[in-house]
Amino acid sequence: MIEFQHVFKSYGRSRNILADINFRIDAGEFVFVSGPSGAGKSTLLKLIGGLEPPSRGSITVKNQRIDKMPARARPYLRRAVGVILQDAHLLFDRSAIDNVLLPLTVVGLEHGQAVSRARAALEKVGLSGKEDLNPVEMSGGEQQRLAIARAIVNRPAILIADEPTANLDRESARRILDVFRDFNRVGVTTLIASHDTSLMAEYANRTLQITAGGFNDFAGVAA
Amino acid sequence: MKRWFRQHRYAILVALRRLWLHPFSSVANLLVIALTLALPILGASFLKAAQPVVKEVSISPEITVFMKPGAAPQASQNVLNSVNSNYADVVESARIVTREEALASLKRNPNWADALSVLPDNPLPDAVLVTLGPVENLPAVTATLVKDLGSSPDVHTVQHDAAWVQRLAAILDFITIGLGMLAIGVALIVLATVFNTVRMQALSQREEIAVARLVGATESFVHRPFLYLGAFTGVLASLLAIAFAQAALQPLNTALANLAASYGTRIELVLPDSIWLLFSIVAVALLAALSARWSVTRNTRF
Repeated sequence: MIEFQHVFKSYGRSRNILADINFRIDAGEFVFVSGPSGAGKSTLLKLIGGLEPPSRGSITVKNQRIDKMPARARPYLRRAVGVILQDAHLLFDRSAIDNVLLPLTVVGLEHGQAVSRARAALEKVGLSGKEDLNPVEMSGGEQQRLAIARAIVNRPAILIADEPTANLDRESARRILDVFRDFNRVGVTTLIASHDTSLMAEYANRTLQITAGGFNDFAGVAA
Repeated sequence: MKRWFRQHRYAILVALRRLWLHPFSSVANLLVIALTLALPILGASFLKAAQPVVKEVSISPEITVFMKPGAAPQASQNVLNSVNSNYADVVESARIVTREEALASLKRNPNWADALSVLPDNPLPDAVLVTLGPVENLPAVTATLVKDLGSSPDVHTVQHDAAWVQRLAAILDFITIGLGMLAIGVALIVLATVFNTVRMQALSQREEIAVARLVGATESFVHRPFLYLGAFTGVLASLLAIAFAQAALQPLNTALANLAASYGTRIELVLPDSIWLLFSIVAVALLAALSARWSVTRNTRF
């Protein structure tokens, strides 16, 4: 499903953010990406989502080589990868359901069909009845769940989330991770970047640990 | 195909919503473009009104050679013979109008009849009327002929009747070129205004563009609403410009009617033909869409 082979990433002439990363994630896995701030967790997720190209090495996602993919083809890959960033990147000039409708508009789905799929996505993340609220009127946890609804509405095969629980209290963070686990149970490959080891201990099957000195792949939680 | 239509419908709605959400800046931009576009439309109206004047009056040079008072009747015949023999290749026709024929012609006009009846004798000279045919380098040929005929000792004056029409035609040519240059200037203003409008819109929609890309929007999807925004701006501004020009023509026509009446004629300024206006609207819309495309490509690289 996802395979990194000798992947390097740097910006300009600065040092490598990621150096010689190798791993493989199979379909349906639930994987955490851990490491201190600035270690390159977000960069790793952006590479998987096709949001940035690698400097060197090969990345295969859903049998497609991202590193050799022309820029005009990347949007089509992004439709198959749901992305949730730490800052939820919601649009505050429209309602919750309109935020969720955007990915469906991008693919040109018929409006009636799109609305029912958006409602279903909101229901899955526990936001039923809040369709017409503006995201400003929602709590941090609800905003994050709204971002998840937007990421899953196109029924992606892969879900990647960058620090989705960073600014949330324990209870809200658990609810968010429960949502991710529910999607994973129905076959969605899930990658979550986090530095909260106690939460990871509750949910992780596998952890990719990025440190200043290298890269480790653990079953369960990194020590 | 349905998907294609849905995406275009979405882009159109987004473009209209963006125009609607910023009413003051949208109206200000439309006014700037419309007032600028109204100038060449008014110019074209002036040209359209002036061209029939030139077309209806013959601009084939007609030269009238007035003999000196008291010149022998043979003198005008000598001039006629000289014209026919020396300028046969450029002269279409030439004839003598005797002083008696001229007086009789004037007397047929009631305005002149009374005045002429009190004169003791005929004050008019003999004249030779020369009409030139279509020749190359007409101004030079005419000038040579006028100079040559004027050098005869029996000739008092050589009058070149078509000179003013030729001057008017030259002025109209000048105005046509000026209008062409004005049109280029207007096109640049449309380009610059739409470019800047789209730039501001793209910057204010930065977050929406970033999210759209995040969820898999292609660059065409991101750019399309801006192209429609440019095209709509062009169409609306063109329609406003036509309305402004039409409104301006009414007081101008009132003033022009009074002026023309004093010359016993009638001139009316009208808008250019509908086809011409339609072509202009389409051209401005395309130009604006092109400018929008250029702007959005440059200003959404983030």
